[in-house]
Amino acid sequence: MDYKDGEMRDFYYTAVLMNTQVDYRVIRELFERGDIETHRDLYGLAKMPSSKIKELLLSPQSERKVRDWMESKGKVEAACGEYMQLGRQYGIKVVSSLNRIYPVNFRLQTGMPKVLYCRGRTELLNQCSNQGSVAVVGSRNASGYALYATERFSSEFSSKGITIVSGMALGVDRKAHEAALQGSGNTIAILAGGPDNVYPPENAELYKQIVSKGLVISEMPPGQQPLRQYFPSRNRLIAGLSDCTLVMEAGAYSGTLHTASFAAVQGKEVFVLPNNIYFANAEGGLKLLEDGCCVLYSSDNVIDSVSQAIVRRRLEYPDLMESEESGGKRTVPEASNREKLDIIRLKADKNPDDVSDEEWEALIEDELTVKSLDIDSLCNSLCLPFYRITDLLIRLQMSGRVVLENGKYALTFR
Amino acid sequence: MSSKPSVARIYSGFARGTDCVISELEVSVTPGIPTFSVIGLCDSSIRESHGRIMSALRSSGFSMPKGHVTISISPAYMKKSGSGFDLAMAVGILFASGQIPYKSDRKTYAEGELSLDGSVKGTPGAALRLNKAGSEGFQYVLIPEDERNSARCTGFEGRCVKDLAEACSVFGLAGYVPERFSLDKGSESGELKTDISMLKGQEKTKRAIILSAAGFHNMLLMGSPGSGKTMAAKILSGILPPLDKGETGEVYALYEALEGPAAKLSSDRPVRCISPDITPGKLLGNAMSMTPGEMALANHGILFADEIMEFPSQVLDLMRKPLEEREVRLFRNGITYTYSADLIFVGAGNPCKCGMFYEPGSRCRCSAGTRKRYLTRLSGPFLERIDIFSEMRSIGKDDLALMYADKGSAESPAVKEKVERCWKIQNSRYGGKIFNSSVNPADLADAMELSKDILSYCSELASKGLFSARGYQKTLRLARTIADYEGRADVTRADVSEAAVFRAHEL
Repeated sequence: MDYKDGEMRDFYYTAVLMNTQVDYRVIRELFERGDIETHRDLYGLAKMPSSKIKELLLSPQSERKVRDWMESKGKVEAACGEYMQLGRQYGIKVVSSLNRIYPVNFRLQTGMPKVLYCRGRTELLNQCSNQGSVAVVGSRNASGYALYATERFSSEFSSKGITIVSGMALGVDRKAHEAALQGSGNTIAILAGGPDNVYPPENAELYKQIVSKGLVISEMPPGQQPLRQYFPSRNRLIAGLSDCTLVMEAGAYSGTLHTASFAAVQGKEVFVLPNNIYFANAEGGLKLLEDGCCVLYSSDNVIDSVSQAIVRRRLEYPDLMESEESGGKRTVPEASNREKLDIIRLKADKNPDDVSDEEWEALIEDELTVKSLDIDSLCNSLCLPFYRITDLLIRLQMSGRVVLENGKYALTFR
Repeated sequence: MSSKPSVARIYSGFARGTDCVISELEVSVTPGIPTFSVIGLCDSSIRESHGRIMSALRSSGFSMPKGHVTISISPAYMKKSGSGFDLAMAVGILFASGQIPYKSDRKTYAEGELSLDGSVKGTPGAALRLNKAGSEGFQYVLIPEDERNSARCTGFEGRCVKDLAEACSVFGLAGYVPERFSLDKGSESGELKTDISMLKGQEKTKRAIILSAAGFHNMLLMGSPGSGKTMAAKILSGILPPLDKGETGEVYALYEALEGPAAKLSSDRPVRCISPDITPGKLLGNAMSMTPGEMALANHGILFADEIMEFPSQVLDLMRKPLEEREVRLFRNGITYTYSADLIFVGAGNPCKCGMFYEPGSRCRCSAGTRKRYLTRLSGPFLERIDIFSEMRSIGKDDLALMYADKGSAESPAVKEKVERCWKIQNSRYGGKIFNSSVNPADLADAMELSKDILSYCSELASKGLFSARGYQKTLRLARTIADYEGRADVTRADVSEAAVFRAHEL
């Protein structure tokens, strides 16, 4: 595979940020002055003669930084070429804010990276937006209790189609990914280094599995080593991508606390697994609880929080939820189907006899997306007679798309 | 006194369990110091009749003959009880003493209790007795006015009398003018039932109730407290077609045997409610006192077990056999008495200990283990008797608003009509009063006119784990009922799908 022109410009943008003194402040100034409209215009900007830098009307510091860039253009281009070379080698996909697939949660916040480097099933990004995601984070040397809870919660959420987001560290992160992979495989690992860089090396096997069944993303270009200073930024992305954050265990100075505070700042709910007060490694988590985080004791509260986030996204940003690249084998209505579903719904209101079985099935699946429902509620919300809905449900059940659990019908995610 | 015979014969009867024995009374009056003796294993209620008869004879203008009065009631080896022999004994005494003319070739049947002023009262068990007496070919049949309803049920020919004087008048100038009793229409149909439209928003339960009525299927309703389980049973009784003449008689006979003439003659199907504290004797019947149990009393109607989860498992398991055979058997002195128990069993219970399992959100406080333990109270063989499972959620605010918004339209009458039609289809297919739930042929598929495609579809569903292997037959039966209810000759795949939804229980 090879990269398109636009994607090459994405690489270039990252190369500039990584290899010159140009930083986000400069980029923002360029945007504000109207010198560039998208991050890809940086590539065009590099072509201008250095005499024109004055005309950009930047602040003195920024101007100095841009000059530095102009002087080291060769270095930038070399780095860009290197990234692309590695990217091709490892099959790394580039997702930028200009792509429709770019996570809605990132769009809603400022300061999120414009370009993401991904390895694996990028359609998971879409699913994140449509079916919700939960960050599961915690200590690297977690207690058996925390690991147990991590496994239970992660596998439950992933079986409900919620994507598990974590950092592929040892301990809780690793358990969360593993549990999700056992089930639907809906899991995203956000790395501090480049997406081809396995860190920590103990997780090489896990990394392979995530690449094949889940998704690895990073804001760093291919080949970039995970440096110490990159980790807080990575934690911010974990909190930013997901709809709520579960802190399974955190020591007093754990990096997990960063993730939690980022989530709180972004206005997302943080659930903390309560723990033994005499257990030193639980202090951070308990402090979070003292500060008013939610107690993680039942998956229902988390699911409620996630479904609220989804509903809010759908209501407030319907255009963002639309996406042409609805991928995957999943037949559950993706955002691109929303318009289609609305048309069906309109048709069902006017003359229900014209609606085909497939269309009804799509409507049923859409009803079940947010939460599982009993047959009566389905009847009422779809205004469909009982004997029709039973046939449709049994057919969905037969094809394995819907299961009956605890007297309610739920979508399967396998 | 040439016409005075040594012995006069007259007939009466007594109920024993589910049938009746006709007994012959021989009365002899011989001269001597007045005595009165009744022989033939009689209990004290019969022996006490001396006082009643003597006073009644006097009140009616007759007199007790002076001499030994001996009355033998046959068959002499059977224990008898009840005051229903009074009238026969009194008339027999009048025959024997020549106070009214007696012809030995004339068979007379009489029953009823005498009161001191000579009026005649009915006694319990009349429906059973008259049923038998009607077919024995008696020329003269005299019954108390109270027993008119019993007579109507049995399609019986005879004469109702108010008092002893009237009874005697038929042997005189007035003559015997029999009356033909029949159950034309007078059987009143009872109180207002809850309408099925009250189940708005609970589509599954609504449909379950309709199908239960349409095919006489046993049903289990699981729902939170306050979701209207008890109401569901009332609605079910409202959509069942009325009893036909034969059934009305059968049901009345049973109730009459228990309650006497006070029993109500009605074409409404009986609804018997049982609660977890019921004893085995109350449920199946008591062999010692020969009283029918709730299962027999619910014959042709509904047996509703509320809070079924709280029933001791022994009691539930006692119901297994009667539910399967559709009859209850009692044994006494080596004789089997069979009460038919052709009923719809409706069980209602909570889905878990706290009852909130089907509620939205996470209101259930039960752990998985608690829930499992709770549900295992219903044994597998017992569940095998159940055709329809439905869960009920409690009614929300919106549903309540809907329910009262267009309350005017009662749906039950229309449903009832459809159920009636559905019954006719089934009865003509199987012949007799047999339903999809109870038909028991060697080849089910053949009898139910099921195609190969339907059978294979059903096994496909079973193989996907939608219901158990033993649920296979039940699903087919229910699918047949659905097709019959909708008036389709052939069962479609959609019918099987719907039936599968009612089997999809997690017990």
